[in-house]
Amino acid sequence: MSDDELDQRVRASVLAEQIDTSRVEAAVLNRMRQRHVPGWAVAAAAVIAMVGASVLSYRTFVKEQTPPICVAAAQDHQREIVQGEPRPWLSDIFAIQSLAEKQGVPASAIAALTTTGYGLQRARLCFLKKQIFLHLVYTKDGSEYSVYLRPPSGLFNDSVRGGQALAYFETNRVTAVFVSHGADALAFARAGARVL
Amino acid sequence: MPHVRSLLRVARRLTVDSAAAEDLVQETMLLAWRGFHGFRRDSNARAWLFRILLNAFYGQVRKVSRAPQPVPAVVDAKLQEAVEIEEALLALPIDQRSVLLLCIVEGFTCREAAEILNVPIGTVMSRLSRARQELRKSLAPRVKAEAKAAFQ
Repeated sequence: MSDDELDQRVRASVLAEQIDTSRVEAAVLNRMRQRHVPGWAVAAAAVIAMVGASVLSYRTFVKEQTPPICVAAAQDHQREIVQGEPRPWLSDIFAIQSLAEKQGVPASAIAALTTTGYGLQRARLCFLKKQIFLHLVYTKDGSEYSVYLRPPSGLFNDSVRGGQALAYFETNRVTAVFVSHGADALAFARAGARVL
Repeated sequence: MPHVRSLLRVARRLTVDSAAAEDLVQETMLLAWRGFHGFRRDSNARAWLFRILLNAFYGQVRKVSRAPQPVPAVVDAKLQEAVEIEEALLALPIDQRSVLLLCIVEGFTCREAAEILNVPIGTVMSRLSRARQELRKSLAPRVKAEAKAAFQ
């Protein structure tokens, strides 16, 4: 049997077979219609989930560690600045500095804060957890920030820390709590920490 | 769907199992669909599909070694030759069988088969030659019987 004859027999035999491709084609089309999720998308989703869980844990952890005085400051900011409850305010810089000196807060600290790019608008005295604080209101780019100052009181000795809306620290001159709503109080606190 | 019939025909003789052949072709088409960006427009789509099929098949063979299933006995005399050829084909080693299917049944040249299988053309030619020899050996009794019948 020659090569050609052999090839012809094999070819004819194999090609004579009836083949139904409908099942395979239906299965392929079905798989093609299913949304294929690439591996990198799965990995990205896992990373996002992990970051989300970390942020949540961090926030919970920070919230648990937030001193009561800072919670009180945030509530005071909410009432007096966000909700705008009427309060007597001082807006004259000299009157504010005089008031600060009487409370043991160096006037130079208030002057120093104005060098950070945040503008002092008004001030008044308020009580946070039965402790008297000088409540200063600053603005920058349309956002309002509350800064609560009092003489060093050993409330917290850490450097700047906190979240987006609340930051606090204590230096050898002042105890400071920075609060804002929807703005970066931490940035202001960092700037303040450099000058106070 | 283009070339599915040819792919299925070859896959059935490689896997020796209809369901496995369908799975293999399904996998081939999906791999081709997902990897279509890697297909060069100036290249042969049919050869490209067969390359995917053969790669997928050899990947499976490395994982699971299947024993050839016996072809069921057929009483119909007309189909007897087809069955014997099928048995002879399935008795071939996989490498020889794949070359034979590509070159003789599907009409690829030795060079194209070499590219599909990613082996030198000389390897394809020697495998094809050995495959023919084996087939001849397997089909010898039938050929002898045919020759005898012709002289009677």
